[in-house]
Amino acid sequence: MMENNWYIELAWIVAKILAVIVPLLIAVAYLTLAERRVIGFMQLRKGPNVVGPFGLFQPFADALKLMAKETILPAGADKTVFMIAPMLTFVLALVAWAVIPFDAGMVLADINVGVLYLFAISSLGVYGVIMAGWASNSKYAFLGALRSAAQMVSYEVSMGLVIINVLVCVGSLNLSAIVEAQRDMWFAVPLFPMFAVFFISTLAETNRAPFDLPEGESELVAGYFVEYSSMSFALFFLGEYANMILMSAITTLLFLGGWLPPFDFAPFNLIPGPIWFILKICLLLFVFLWVRATTPRYRYDQLMRLGWKVFLPFSLIYVVLTAGYLVATDSLPGLIG
Amino acid sequence: MISSFFFYLFAAVTCLSGLMVVTSRNPVHSVLFLILAFFNAAGLFILLQAEFLAMLLVVVYVGAVAVLFLFVVMMLDINFVELREGFQKYRTLGIVIGIILLAELFTTFFQLAGDSGALPETTGVHNTAQLGRVLYTEYVYLFQLAGLILLVAMIGAIALTLRSRPGVKRQSISDQNSRRREDTVRLAKVRSGEGAEAKEGSH
Amino acid sequence: MEFSSLTFLAALPEFILIFFALVLVLVAAFARHSDGHIKTVRTISLVGYATGFAALFLLPQGATEIFNGMFRIDGLTVYMKGLVLLGGFFACWLVGDGWGEGIDRAEFHLLVLMAILGMLLMISANDLISLYMALELQSLPLYVVAAMRTGSLKSSEAGLKYFLLGALSSGMLLYGASMIYGFSGSTGFSEIAASLTTGDISIGMTVGMVFLLSGLAFKISAAPFHMWTPDVYEGAPTPVTALFAIVPKVASITLILSVTYNALGEMAVQWQQILIALSVISMIVGATGAIMQQNIKRMLAYSSIAHMGYALAGLASGSMQGSTSVIIYMTTYVFMGAGSFAVIMTMRRDGLPVERISDLSGLSSTHPIQAAGMMVIMFSMAGIPPLAGFFAKWYVFLAAVDAGLVPLAIIGLLTSVIGAFYYLRIIRLMYFQEANAPLDKGGERQNRLVLFASLAVILLFFFFIGPVHDHASSISGALASFS
Repeated sequence: MMENNWYIELAWIVAKILAVIVPLLIAVAYLTLAERRVIGFMQLRKGPNVVGPFGLFQPFADALKLMAKETILPAGADKTVFMIAPMLTFVLALVAWAVIPFDAGMVLADINVGVLYLFAISSLGVYGVIMAGWASNSKYAFLGALRSAAQMVSYEVSMGLVIINVLVCVGSLNLSAIVEAQRDMWFAVPLFPMFAVFFISTLAETNRAPFDLPEGESELVAGYFVEYSSMSFALFFLGEYANMILMSAITTLLFLGGWLPPFDFAPFNLIPGPIWFILKICLLLFVFLWVRATTPRYRYDQLMRLGWKVFLPFSLIYVVLTAGYLVATDSLPGLIG
Repeated sequence: MISSFFFYLFAAVTCLSGLMVVTSRNPVHSVLFLILAFFNAAGLFILLQAEFLAMLLVVVYVGAVAVLFLFVVMMLDINFVELREGFQKYRTLGIVIGIILLAELFTTFFQLAGDSGALPETTGVHNTAQLGRVLYTEYVYLFQLAGLILLVAMIGAIALTLRSRPGVKRQSISDQNSRRREDTVRLAKVRSGEGAEAKEGSH
Repeated sequence: MEFSSLTFLAALPEFILIFFALVLVLVAAFARHSDGHIKTVRTISLVGYATGFAALFLLPQGATEIFNGMFRIDGLTVYMKGLVLLGGFFACWLVGDGWGEGIDRAEFHLLVLMAILGMLLMISANDLISLYMALELQSLPLYVVAAMRTGSLKSSEAGLKYFLLGALSSGMLLYGASMIYGFSGSTGFSEIAASLTTGDISIGMTVGMVFLLSGLAFKISAAPFHMWTPDVYEGAPTPVTALFAIVPKVASITLILSVTYNALGEMAVQWQQILIALSVISMIVGATGAIMQQNIKRMLAYSSIAHMGYALAGLASGSMQGSTSVIIYMTTYVFMGAGSFAVIMTMRRDGLPVERISDLSGLSSTHPIQAAGMMVIMFSMAGIPPLAGFFAKWYVFLAAVDAGLVPLAIIGLLTSVIGAFYYLRIIRLMYFQEANAPLDKGGERQNRLVLFASLAVILLFFFFIGPVHDHASSISGALASFS
């Protein structure tokens, strides 16, 4: 009897995990297609439209092509680290989803320190990049990795301070509690500057344009994954796009009210929470693509200046302002849990 | 049952990666194993229901400190042979100290075995909140003092290493933004075959 | 814990210093780096020390413990804080506006201010954790300023040596602190003292105490933990050496005083032996090591080791008389250090600082006032009556004899005689030797305030030795062992 229960429980957990991961991977596949299509339209091109209706099978064609190719190990590469790096990137992009709530109670692990968990996982992402860059035994890859590591560590600091802004408004590190605290007003409204800082930092954290210096194809060929091919390259690719979706999800949870409808009356509140959540993520992803299509790449010193000399002091001052306002109006939230 | 399985998993990986840190031939591998050890220690914290500490360990040590370690090790030009020799030289001493430490730990362990009083009571409050409560009330003095020490360390490090070299071109954002069209652009009528005359200071 | 106005009032000097330090950070970051820049910075920090000193008079009377018992003020701490702030003011005054050697930067003054802040917190430490953290706050900036002379190998060596040995001593101190915590069950000084009154003193406490005192002995450069001192004194830029010579030891001695008398008062028998050993070795090393030195900074380093030996002799007596004598000793030590460096820092030839002892020769004919001042200070350091240094040693030896430590006092007297040799050698050089190449003129105006203030105290000490002694003995009554 006991054994039976144990099996069922395990199967149930695995099913839940699959229910998150499989749609996620499909979403990643179509994000790549969406990127090419959206940028295509913005640049008055068509984008891929041949494979399947409207090019809808294009991602699968790309995936098959990558899988069929040969994995090349560069001479002088550290083989173990070389192979672990893309796996790490990919796995980290997936495990973070364990704490993302799609609706009230619809979450794999509703842990108390959800925000910190996300923060920790995203800070680990830098290792995939560094390991790849170092193990490739290539100048371009190593330079790209160094750039990327410095960039990600720098922008994490201001991201952390932005998150503190949200946390003092909520009084909990639990993501569901953070969403519930936005029932009256999304944090994007009172904390709009922080929302902007956070979103720009996520661009840097995911190495996306205009902060895509680690790849910098015009100067570093392709940055840290220049030596990768076939499936190992695909894992990096998947990881990068899964990270984009993850970051959009985090932004949604922290600032755009997660699964909550924008207005709490019909017809808005008839639409189920997960749909709202996905719609908001899609909106942010569109902005990701939009930014990529329209902004030129930053220079490295400008990037660092923006992170350390603009965002960091600004978000620090904003923490003081937010906390000061909450204390002055006596509206500091009590500790939830 | 599951938690004890995970305890042995985390503990074994921590010990093994600790061993690999000192024995692996490549310093970069050493640092990577160190990171693995940190990570598993965080797992052990979670089993102790100290989830805040666990996350902090990952964010601070794995996410920031170890990255710097890795940076330094990757960029330094380390003579591996020399490193080996140093290891051989101190091996006996290291082993002796290790054995003493192990013996001490075992003594303490067997004295305290079965005594669960060492673990604090977990009340209804999460340890994040608990930590915050003591940190900002009873220990606020030490907390602020730590802040001052970190400030001093930062200023000191910058003061020692920052050299303002002459002749380096720097970007002045405010100057750039305050540039006006009249200062830099001049409209000139150019007749064919003569070219625009060069004015002083323009090029 | 409730925050009251008392909390902030009791730590007022510290808050003032923090405020000025933060102002300096902003000035250093945002002010335009023009010629007057360093002048502004120095003025700000001088005002900071002065304001902090003035704030000492606003502190509540009587012993008060704030911040959950981690921070203690009483008569003793207020007095010692006064000495430290005065010393900080002197050191900052002596630097001047254009010393050179890479220290004419806002960061230098900022770091020194932070170090002084750390010393104030050390003096008030009433808990092992606050002790350690205050000590680190004091040490970190000092490591940096010692290495601040850009492009100088000696300065880098000084900084690195100081840093490594300082880290080692911190490790020993922490180890000792953890033993004491483990065996007494608390980090607070009063709780540790309370735990000692019940039951026997365990071996663990003794081991912890030994390590704790060894760590602290590093900080006051008591032999055999003195190896860093001559190199650091020599390698660091002279204004930094002046700072080292004037202030940090006051704070560290106070720390030893409060650890031994407040926390470990019941273990007097055990720590007395350690302090006696430290004292004897320091006196001997200090006196003999200085003889062969050619560099005046190195010589003063050994001289300070000897001075710490005498101060420890007072501490080792374990009596109220002993703590009184240490307070008096540290008072004179600050003024003698400030005065001697007020002279040394005017020694320049062709605009560059010189630091060989032989450079002082013939000073009496070229710089008569400086030479006379230096003579008084050297006599005082040698312990010639009726100067301040004589009374300091007198009370220390008196306390040692009264506590039954006659051999210690005798060794102290003998080393004083040896020490007098190299102090008198400087006087001989200044007055009976021809100058081979005269030193620059005109630098002495700037240092006149410090020199004259120190000389006034040293010369006139015997007028107010009575009140000073009464005050010192009344404030040492605040120590836990005597209340």
